[in-house]
Amino acid sequence: MRGIVQINFGGREIALKLVYYGPALSGKTTNLRSLHHLTTETSRGRLMTLETRDDRTLFFDMLPLTLRAETSVTGADRAGTPAGMTLRIKIFTVPGQVLHASTRRLVLQGADGVAFIADSQISETEHNAASFLDLRRNLKELNLSVKELPLVIQFNKRDLDRIRSDEELAALASRGREPVFRASAVNGDGVLETFFGLLDVTWRKLDREHQLAKLLGIASTELLPMAARQLGLETDVATLLSSCLGGTTQRTAEVSS
Amino acid sequence: MTIEAPPPSVRVDDLVLDGRLHLEDLVDRDGLDELCRSFVALFGIPVRIYSNEGGLLADTAIEHELCAYVNTTVEGRKACAATVGAVKARDAGESGDVLHPCFTGAAYRILALEYDGRRVGRLIVGPFLPPQVTEPLPSLLSIDAAIDKDRAQVLLGKMPRAKAETVTRITTHLKSALDLILFSGHKSFVTSKMHLASVRESYRQLEDKTARLQEAFDRLKELDRLKSNFLATVSHELRTPLTSIIGYSEMLVEGLAGELKPEQIEFVKTIHAKGGQLLSLIMSLLDLSKMESGTMRMTMRPVRIEAVMKEVVSTLLPTARKRGVKLQMSADASSLGEVRGDPERLRQVFINLVENAIKFTPSEGSVTLRAAMVDEDGDGGDDDAGLALLAPTRALVEVRVVDTGIGIPKREWGRIFDPFYQVDSSSTREYGGTGLGLSIVKRLVESHGGTIRIEDNPPRGTVFVVTLPQTSAGADVTSDARAPAESRPDG
Repeated sequence: MRGIVQINFGGREIALKLVYYGPALSGKTTNLRSLHHLTTETSRGRLMTLETRDDRTLFFDMLPLTLRAETSVTGADRAGTPAGMTLRIKIFTVPGQVLHASTRRLVLQGADGVAFIADSQISETEHNAASFLDLRRNLKELNLSVKELPLVIQFNKRDLDRIRSDEELAALASRGREPVFRASAVNGDGVLETFFGLLDVTWRKLDREHQLAKLLGIASTELLPMAARQLGLETDVATLLSSCLGGTTQRTAEVSS
Repeated sequence: MTIEAPPPSVRVDDLVLDGRLHLEDLVDRDGLDELCRSFVALFGIPVRIYSNEGGLLADTAIEHELCAYVNTTVEGRKACAATVGAVKARDAGESGDVLHPCFTGAAYRILALEYDGRRVGRLIVGPFLPPQVTEPLPSLLSIDAAIDKDRAQVLLGKMPRAKAETVTRITTHLKSALDLILFSGHKSFVTSKMHLASVRESYRQLEDKTARLQEAFDRLKELDRLKSNFLATVSHELRTPLTSIIGYSEMLVEGLAGELKPEQIEFVKTIHAKGGQLLSLIMSLLDLSKMESGTMRMTMRPVRIEAVMKEVVSTLLPTARKRGVKLQMSADASSLGEVRGDPERLRQVFINLVENAIKFTPSEGSVTLRAAMVDEDGDGGDDDAGLALLAPTRALVEVRVVDTGIGIPKREWGRIFDPFYQVDSSSTREYGGTGLGLSIVKRLVESHGGTIRIEDNPPRGTVFVVTLPQTSAGADVTSDARAPAESRPDG
């Protein structure tokens, strides 16, 4: 099962792999640290960081989140569902530095969804583009296509000067089909939004292809609210997702219904 | 160019995603043992750690005096073994924490060890005495008739006592310490695996590139060979009609076809001279392709180098005079001895070098040919370490062609002997030449077992230094081996 969700009936587990990709120093590790900080201890594991002395990511960072299916859904939906399925989400970051190309490919392998962390600074435009091309090339080598891969884009470092304006980002977002989020990961802003945005697009695709909701014994629209609850968030998921620019818009309506 | 590489062979997911992590892979057993021992030292309660696969990873079992006493009786020993066996086999249950009683009144706690939300092993704590057990239970006294109640009472008092909540507190602490150890172990495990995977992946990419480069190199080599063949064929085909052109124009000048007017003679002489130039260019190309394909034949014999030099000077003296350049030579014939070589080819070498020197030296300048004996390591460039292990020092004849010309920039020194290379393409127009001369000279010198290099001639000008092995000393070892008569230089 290369490149798609891993379903382990024996272990009653579904494993999702999400990858945070992007140019060097765009804040991928900072996103993970913030996510770690913003979520509750019961559902997240330790943040594993493999970094060098100068705080640069050497191989990757990994944050595990474990969600247990709640038995809130009854009746026909739950028929034939193995009891106590667990959804394990592993979030990885790749090393952004150019020289770690082979490690990036290794980490990207088997990703179910990708969040591309871009740097909002105007001076970083080229690096963002180069890293995106690198992502496309690596996906191709892994026999994956960027078209089919659930993808969200985050413009990080909104707190800095000399960045692209919100209007510019909105215009850019309307050109592409991916949801675009704004963030200041170092302050924890936009981090949850990006994560839930990614979980949303990934879940939709995998649920469509593998009927994951049925396996977990929940309604399709229940996953995100369930994840939010178990991660100890007080913000409503629909509110989180509504901060996105571009992308498909039906999602918000679906979740809040 | 995008390199299409096969997908990497190691998956990161294998390292961190699935449930195949084994306790044995993540901990250092000695370290774990030490941790458990310090725990026992602190609380007096024995600790054992089993992996999911049943492996005993740490065992700090200490035999309490009561247990030792019970074990002295036949039935007591049997019952003790049965209890220990049952504890070993018992699962931590759904809750991950069960109490297992012993017939002595003591108890064991069996706790699930979890890592990353999965059970990876069991922690067995005990035996310890719950506080409510104050005197020997009937189950202990009835196990064997030999058990003495008073003695049992005394030894019971020596057993460590712990309340359920105390044990919970202690084991929670131990479990969190273990969790940290497991996390560190896991991290190191992943790091080293990842390191290996990255290195393997980089190596695979490098191998791929090397194969491509080798392929490109082989193709270029083949192209080069084809080019040489083509050059040889074309040169040969050009030479034949050119010989006729030169021959007929010569006959015209000599009046064999009737008397020509002086102006006509001038024209035909020009045709003859240009034909000669063309022929020498074609000969150069032929020489080069012969040397590249290894088909140039040379007749090697002892040659006196000063004789070659004299001939070169006398041939080129008119040219030098015409350009106002002073041409001179110095050689001590008595010390020079002989070199082994093809005199015709050696003459070609020095004609070429001296002609070049004259060409690039302005009038009033000078070109000097100087020959002297040197030792093989006498160029000062190599250090003489380990020379004792190498071949005996050979005597070399060194011929220096020194000019006071325009000089050659140092950065060009490495490329000047490449075929068709010219320091400055504008010099072709000003000074003429094909860029073949020096590459032929270098190959000829090397096929004589010699070397050629460039030096500066401050304040201006260039020195070409040719060294050739002398025949007289150790001739059998050196020059014969390298250049047998009728030899073919390396192709």
